[in-house]
Amino acid sequence: MRVYLDLAQALLLVAGAPLVRGIIARLKAWIQRRQGASIWRPYADLGKLFGKEDLVPPAASPVFRFAPVLLFAVIVLATGFVPVLHSSALFGTASDFILLVYLIALGRFFMSLGAIDGGSAFGGMGASREALVSTLAEAPLLLSLMSVAILAHSGSISDIVSWTLRQNFFDISLVHALAFAALVIVGIAETGRLPVDNPTTHLELTMIHEAMVLEYSGPSLAFIEWAQAIKLNLVLALLIGLFGPWGMATGLSASVIGISIAAYLLKLGVLIVTIALVESSLAKLRMYLVPDFLGVGSALGILAIMFTAFTGR
Amino acid sequence: MLVAVLMGATVAVSSVLRGVPVSLDFSSVGPFAFTLTVDRLSAFFLFLICFVAGPVIVFFIPYAEHHYHRAGRTWIWILLPLFLLSMVVVATASSAFAFLFGWELMTLFSAGLILVEGDSPERRHDLMIYLLMMHVGAAAVVACYFLFLPYSHSLDFAAIRGAAGNLPPTTRTLIFLLAFIGFGTKAGIIPLHLWLPRAHPIAPSPVSALMSGVMLKTAVYGFVRFGFDFLGGGPAWWGYLVLFAGAVSGILGVLYALSEQDLKRLLAYSSIENIGIIFLGLGTALIFMAHDARMWATLALIAALLHTLNHAIFKSLLFLGAGAISNSAHTLDLEELGGLQKRMPFTGATFLIACGSIAGLPLFSGFISEWLTFRSFLAGSTLAGAKAQFLLPLMTGALGLIGGLGVACFIKAYGIAFLGRPRSTGATLALEVPTAMRVGMMVLATACLAIGILPGAVLQPLLLVVSGLIRDSEIPPDITLISRTVPLIAVSLLGLLAVISLTRRNRRAVPTWACGLPELTSRMEYTSTAFSKPIRWVFSSVYRPDRKIEVSPADSYFPASISYRSVRTTSFEKSLYRPAVDGIVSVAHQLRRLHTGNIQFYLLYIFLTLVGLLAFLRIFR
Amino acid sequence: MDLVSLAAAKALTSTAALLFITVLLMAATKRISTIIFLFALQSAILTVQVAIIAYLNNSPEAYAVAIMVLLLKVVGIPYALFRLIERLHSPRGVGASISPAQSVFVAVILIFLAFSAVRTYAADLGGMEEALAAGVALILSGAFLMVSRNKALMQIMGLLVLENGVFLAALATTFGMPLVIEIGISFDLVMGVLLMGIFTFRIRDTFEHLDVSKLRRLRG
Repeated sequence: MRVYLDLAQALLLVAGAPLVRGIIARLKAWIQRRQGASIWRPYADLGKLFGKEDLVPPAASPVFRFAPVLLFAVIVLATGFVPVLHSSALFGTASDFILLVYLIALGRFFMSLGAIDGGSAFGGMGASREALVSTLAEAPLLLSLMSVAILAHSGSISDIVSWTLRQNFFDISLVHALAFAALVIVGIAETGRLPVDNPTTHLELTMIHEAMVLEYSGPSLAFIEWAQAIKLNLVLALLIGLFGPWGMATGLSASVIGISIAAYLLKLGVLIVTIALVESSLAKLRMYLVPDFLGVGSALGILAIMFTAFTGR
Repeated sequence: MLVAVLMGATVAVSSVLRGVPVSLDFSSVGPFAFTLTVDRLSAFFLFLICFVAGPVIVFFIPYAEHHYHRAGRTWIWILLPLFLLSMVVVATASSAFAFLFGWELMTLFSAGLILVEGDSPERRHDLMIYLLMMHVGAAAVVACYFLFLPYSHSLDFAAIRGAAGNLPPTTRTLIFLLAFIGFGTKAGIIPLHLWLPRAHPIAPSPVSALMSGVMLKTAVYGFVRFGFDFLGGGPAWWGYLVLFAGAVSGILGVLYALSEQDLKRLLAYSSIENIGIIFLGLGTALIFMAHDARMWATLALIAALLHTLNHAIFKSLLFLGAGAISNSAHTLDLEELGGLQKRMPFTGATFLIACGSIAGLPLFSGFISEWLTFRSFLAGSTLAGAKAQFLLPLMTGALGLIGGLGVACFIKAYGIAFLGRPRSTGATLALEVPTAMRVGMMVLATACLAIGILPGAVLQPLLLVVSGLIRDSEIPPDITLISRTVPLIAVSLLGLLAVISLTRRNRRAVPTWACGLPELTSRMEYTSTAFSKPIRWVFSSVYRPDRKIEVSPADSYFPASISYRSVRTTSFEKSLYRPAVDGIVSVAHQLRRLHTGNIQFYLLYIFLTLVGLLAFLRIFR
Repeated sequence: MDLVSLAAAKALTSTAALLFITVLLMAATKRISTIIFLFALQSAILTVQVAIIAYLNNSPEAYAVAIMVLLLKVVGIPYALFRLIERLHSPRGVGASISPAQSVFVAVILIFLAFSAVRTYAADLGGMEEALAAGVALILSGAFLMVSRNKALMQIMGLLVLENGVFLAALATTFGMPLVIEIGISFDLVMGVLLMGIFTFRIRDTFEHLDVSKLRRLRG
């Protein structure tokens, strides 16, 4: 039973990801007084792409074709690291935060190689810019996760979440506030949302992630788009799980699980509305301002770690 | 020679597992005590040397055939076994004399192997810097041993170990600092790294593999021997010193590597980075030992030793890959490579595995050691005292930055060299290397994957090795955790990949639309310089490039030609070494005045020295 | 202690974290308008803190202070400043002399210094140490903003942040200031902003820019 719940929450992240994207797009359209596409549109897009053939540049090697598949597999695997409905993830105590960070890095490593392999100018440009953003995002990401891991005395995300769940909401310390802020900043950079990257742009000057995947088409593109959507869902689930897990199921009865689903959807809804509002009101940062943005994230992460030593544990 | 190497590896493995020291005593034939003993620590490094040397030798046979004339080949096959033997002597020596004997010969033989590659004024200059810095380092190591002498009355390792407890604290500190400087110079810790990016790229590629992969590790061995075995740890500030030196080396090393476009120089700088990671682990272990947290000290030391082994394997694999590239494409300039994956699929695949390992990605070997280092930082938060509680976890940021930059660096190394379109005719016409070279690379690549997926197989023997250095320690829970987790992840990932690849996909090769031009060319691709530009821009305060832009005719709206030159000097050369060199030169000029050329003055100096010494004895004794 | 007052006491420390974040954002930002907005936000957090203290001590005087802070620092001064920059038509940048990332790291060090300095007196403060540390950090970073930005308007902003810090520090050490003192300080502040506003106009009219680093020319 428990295993089914674990699998269900991972599947929820995978299958629900396009929907989250669709809802954000719809909300943004609504804020901008546009009609907007249906919230189910991302599913239709994926279906259409999966039905098409894969066009491959003649210069490309097998790395080009392998990269999207690996990216997708890695991101799907990463969903097993994050608790959603109850306080344990699919991988249980093995859901190590360092492993999660580096698994995502593994996907990005191959994706960047695939981009370079296309042999056009855009792929290299995207890979280079992605390298900048992800390089600078890695330290604050690890620092913020490390600070909550220190408080919970465990490196496993499941353990951290169940520790937080046992705390009183008002006991949340300075460390949590700082780590949360750092993780938000890093999450924006990692998932390529505004103000770091604009997921809807196709302008040479501003593209980061979109430039990387410009050579991809058909099922490969579908895998990439889906993986990107899951990544966003994953970061949101991580924010909820680490900093606001209250409401998660501790038992296995139907009512408790029902409450946990409702609580999760509520929290997710708040985050989605925030994203839509922020993305509608902010302009994209110039690329050379992104390091400063991530510098703030690093500073927050460093402060979070420093304050773990001061917080009575 | 291969047989000897295999035998060495066997001895090492059996010695680690059984834990019985094997000794050889040559004292009767030499004027000094010359004894070799293989205890578990020595056996680990002996294994490392032999395991890497085997594939490198296999690779070297066709490589030497292809690259050198008869005389060169003869020199190589004379010097190479001696070089390996000197390293074996260093790793297994159990008397100071044997250690120093191997230590000096190691430098000289590697210098000889560098000379085989060719001769020119610049090469000689680089070689002189190498030899000079090695001798400064060796002087520090010699001083270390002799500081023990008044207390141990013998330079046998057992006597030294026994005497270490009776040393006054200032002598202990002095020995530690000298050992750190001596071995740090050999390991290439910043700011003592100056020789490394000069000496490694000019050697033949397989020799670079041995120098970077194995020779640097003898310095780690020496440091572990002194810091942990002889001295048994010390005050916490030793650990912090090593930790910060490691962090600085790691970050600067990878930043310099990222800006290089010569593949071998890039790899040389990345060796500095990895030595930095190893010293992060060693420093952490020293801090834990100062706090008497033995279990965590064990964890950190295992992390450092495992990274030592990993780096030996993947860095020599990368240098062999560089050798294969220069063998086939006749250049190592990244701006002239590209598209090699299609032309050299096997070399490409092994190079990719090595890049994954060095970037610390999961399922490759580098991840395991970096993970253990991260976990020992996490364990640092359990120490007493606010300073230790946050300083160690803060190193997460440093290692995270190193990891992130490392990923970017090796995306560049592999992506620019092996993917996309070829940027020169050399790269276009490149062919796969002969079988023997492929076998050498394959063995090392398999080892990378094996350690990455089944870390338990190396971690258990490493526990034995470390148990000899840190006694009465429990087994850290992290070791069992990672040994179980990684195979689980690997199996799940493979399962997922298998499921995904079941979906049938139609594929068609179509040229990319080139905005109306006939076709895309390699000139339109991103170059290695362009790739690293954003990161270089962010860290420009580290690089301090000298830029020169010449526009002719000047001040015109339509210049006929523009030339742009950007030279990056490592900021240490400017700010640290330049003043030191100037100082020495000016002192030398002062000393020149003593040289009058008159023989009676020289006799006077001798006389004055004697009188001075006598006076010294009279006053201080 | 009932649940509400427990929550209130905890909220006091959590809001201190928010103050740290506003300090870091102020160090990072490049536009004057953002700084003014952040200042308003910071003052709003202060208002909440004063209100919490008012609730905990059950003192109507503190409520009055809270309302005054709200009117003056959250609404009044930011509004005036926004009007000011509208009228000045000067470029939007803050004229930073060091890069935002560097400023942020300086701010981190300042916050850390403030916190470790305050920790020595933790026993006397009884749970208010975070608030006091935030106050000291605000004072330091206000001073840092004044030093490192060379737009005349930023000197006003630095002063305002500094004053917020003094206010918070006083709040943390006295558990609610007498109303009279608070009124006095606020009046001072309004006067200060008024005077500085007039001065900025004069500077702009005389030199056609607001870069204080160029005022050296006045030396003659």
